[in-house]
Amino acid sequence: MQRRHRRAHAGIWTGLGVALPLLLAIIFASAPKLAPDAPAIRLDAKTTGGQP
Amino acid sequence: MSVSYKPVIWNRTKMIYDAVLLAGIGIYILVFLKAGPLLSAALRDVDVPTQRMRAFGSLALLMLTVVLAIGPLARIDTRFIPLLYNRRHFGVMTAIVAATHAYYVLGWYFSYSPTPQLTALFTSNSSFTSIAGFPFELFGVFALIILAVLAVTSHDFWLSFLTPPLWKAFHMSVYFAYAAIILHVALGALLDRRDLALALLLVGGLALLSTLHLIAGRREVGADAAASAKAPEEPWIVVGDLSEIAEGRAIIGASPGGERIAVFRSKGGLSAVSNVCSHQNGPIGEGKVVIGFITCPWHGYQYRLEDGCSPPPFRERIRKYRVQLRGSTVLVDPEPLPLGTKLEPFPIPAEMRAVSASAAKQGEA
Repeated sequence: MQRRHRRAHAGIWTGLGVALPLLLAIIFASAPKLAPDAPAIRLDAKTTGGQP
Repeated sequence: MSVSYKPVIWNRTKMIYDAVLLAGIGIYILVFLKAGPLLSAALRDVDVPTQRMRAFGSLALLMLTVVLAIGPLARIDTRFIPLLYNRRHFGVMTAIVAATHAYYVLGWYFSYSPTPQLTALFTSNSSFTSIAGFPFELFGVFALIILAVLAVTSHDFWLSFLTPPLWKAFHMSVYFAYAAIILHVALGALLDRRDLALALLLVGGLALLSTLHLIAGRREVGADAAASAKAPEEPWIVVGDLSEIAEGRAIIGASPGGERIAVFRSKGGLSAVSNVCSHQNGPIGEGKVVIGFITCPWHGYQYRLEDGCSPPPFRERIRKYRVQLRGSTVLVDPEPLPLGTKLEPFPIPAEMRAVSASAAKQGEA
């Protein structure tokens, strides 16, 4: 029992340690970005960088 | 220990543990709500319900990270063992904090929804084909359901009803709740507002937990391999030297199959028992003999030296093993005896007691 429990622990955390960083990388890589030719004046203030 | 079911016993240590926990939760929420807007423009520009939502959400993530770190920390360094003592209350508090976060979310975003709040929660975002736009709420709901079920079944009644092996396996689902929370936070709060502190908590916590669990796992594998030397008198194994065992303490060996065996020394005798407590698989060999009983370091469950049974009226039992001395070398037969078998401690010869006891004391000092 003890050994199976330890193996299950090691398996789960190896899986999480590999899968979660990969998923995080995919999530942030797929985040929508502004097109290079996007207009400088935008309604969503947080991406305008202090436009008047 | 339990006869068949026994309610949780409150004691001073548990009350202090819970008081510290509650104080920590209160301080975090107060600091987040009062000092947060002064320090961060992102918090200053949002309304109070949203601040509360973020306060309880970030606290739930922090608490879950801490509660998952306690296990491996206690395996790596025994100074963390006291944190294990009341870890279940820590887990229940985490579930309550997470539920409070969900309560504020439902109350704020769906208060004026013409459809019922829960229906609105599940139907307002249906971007299942998008990665960044995936309905992150579902991960939060999934994690909250697991945390709630684990909190409800954390009581000793369920431990007794389900049996410890099943209960332990069932409660390992908390790791999947943690994975769901990582995705919930990343797809929700982090994509929405690039919050550096939250990103550090999320990524740093994940790195810390993965590292701690894998280090603890490697040490366990190493301990198994190091302690399995076979004696010339097969199938007996060499567990260590008598001088390594302090009075009232144990050394730990492992059978060729990997099961740990603890050899306790008490009042001139040696007793070998399974290293796995029948309560929650605690490492009995890291405990000590208290008033004549082997006592688990995790929750204080006790067993008699001669037969591995808890004293009446309790019913827990652990397996005993045959033990003997060859010179000062401690040998154990890795074949366990049937549960409840009475086997008196192996007497340490008188001429070896004084020498080995002083060596053990020097080793401790």
